[in-house]
Amino acid sequence: MEMNDPKRKEERREAEPDQGDGGPSSPKTERPGRDSILKRMKRVDPKQSERYKQRTGQ
Amino acid sequence: MIEDLPPLMGIETEYGIIRENAEDSDPVEESMALLKASDALSVFGAWSYRFENSHQDLRGFRVRSLAQDEEEDEFCEQDRERPYSYHDMKCDRTLSNGARFYNDHTHPEYSTPECNDLFQLVAHDIAGEHIVARAAELRNKALGGPHVQLFKNNTDYVGHSYGTHDNYMVARDVPFESIVSALVSFLVTRQLYAGSGKVGYEGRNESFSGLQLAQRSDFIESILSIETMTQRPIINTRDESHAGKEFRRLHLILGDANMSAYATALKVGATRLALGLVAAGEAPVLELEDPVADVKKISRDLTGRASLRLKSGKTITALEVQEAFCEAAQRCYAGKSEELNWVVSEWARTLSELKHAPEKLADRIDWAIKADLFQGFMEEESLDWDDPWLKSLDLEYHNLDPERGLYRGLEQEGRVLSLFKESEISEAVDNPPQGTRAWIRGNMVRYYTNDIQSIHWTGMKLKDDSVIDLTELTDPDAVEQWMNSNKEQWIWK
Repeated sequence: MEMNDPKRKEERREAEPDQGDGGPSSPKTERPGRDSILKRMKRVDPKQSERYKQRTGQ
Repeated sequence: MIEDLPPLMGIETEYGIIRENAEDSDPVEESMALLKASDALSVFGAWSYRFENSHQDLRGFRVRSLAQDEEEDEFCEQDRERPYSYHDMKCDRTLSNGARFYNDHTHPEYSTPECNDLFQLVAHDIAGEHIVARAAELRNKALGGPHVQLFKNNTDYVGHSYGTHDNYMVARDVPFESIVSALVSFLVTRQLYAGSGKVGYEGRNESFSGLQLAQRSDFIESILSIETMTQRPIINTRDESHAGKEFRRLHLILGDANMSAYATALKVGATRLALGLVAAGEAPVLELEDPVADVKKISRDLTGRASLRLKSGKTITALEVQEAFCEAAQRCYAGKSEELNWVVSEWARTLSELKHAPEKLADRIDWAIKADLFQGFMEEESLDWDDPWLKSLDLEYHNLDPERGLYRGLEQEGRVLSLFKESEISEAVDNPPQGTRAWIRGNMVRYYTNDIQSIHWTGMKLKDDSVIDLTELTDPDAVEQWMNSNKEQWIWK
């Protein structure tokens, strides 16, 4: 499995034409789903972590 | 130089588990039910513990027992009253992709197959998330609702930690003292990109309010130790190679579970190169005066500029330690292969961005993703870091449920960097990594499931009492040779 295969780079270039530094490209920055992730965060029960009890592992 | 790199690597991840519709979620029962619900093609209950040797120390001695705290002692006492055997509770599954999926200390654990390629390994780590989530889906179907939730994290925020261990096969002729003297400063500072972020603090450390770089740093209490459940070390000294005598397995337990595939790749890729530098005598030797205290100090400073005192009396920042290793790796490994190019260039880029524009890390480094996400939410809701809601959001970031997990939500919105196509992950869910002994293990599981009597990383025993010994198959040539020699006997298609 190769990260830098030309096919993959080609796909990235098509999706994100503004990235040109050769590394993995950042997703678009305008954050189209900002409201959606905020809604998901608002649905999180504020007390959830207090009920989350685990046993020690390694 | 390439010959100095660890030839095989693997990642073990213990998952957090909770049943939300039960007043007291019982991790033993829930973890067993989860493993039993899994429909992954596998051999069940045949793991051979005869080859496990967790009491042998790399420093040349054997310990009589491993320690755990009083609370865990009590739990273990209660477990002995349960109507289950040790093997019942383990629920071992060896999968057709060469991985192991079982219960370790009441946590469902996915151990990737051993891989010789970085991206092969990261794909298998993500495949583990899919296999665990699929088991949860089936379990919840039986329960009639999404009651059982799984978390790829390392803490419950009240002092219980469970591990994500990265493992490297290292030549035994590299002196262990050389590994320690060079690697400790690298390991305590790699959390700059490998930390998955944690709200608040745990343990006996000085109190802290805010976001730390890493989940595990509060739990690191020694430089070297064979222990894994208490007195956790920067370098674990368990001497259990799962290979021939010429190798040791460096079993690192100080790391976090990363949701970001990029962070996993950078963590394992950089560590592999650091080990190659040590083996080649090219690693910077930056011995810290108090590395255990530094782990926590670094974790509580998101800038990487925490000042660390060296044994020489000079000071250095966490970023400078990583820059020294990265520069050495660039000198030795740039241009050697596409994989090595990726690691050295992304490593340098990450350190540069942390220094000059840390906001750019918010799509690929877990702690930076959390910082961006949580700060926006805090502004929206007028919260501060001490609000319990922040810890709940932190926990939910790691939830594997595609309907609930915050990282899953970011993935769905295309806000975090994805390294793989879905088809590549599906391939890793079903198939073992080519060119490794795991390829043989996985295909034996797939095509000869009912013939296997017992199985282990190093081989298997069949029901006719014949033995397949994979101990020495540590490089692709040896694997190919074995396959050519045995192609008449085992048909894998």
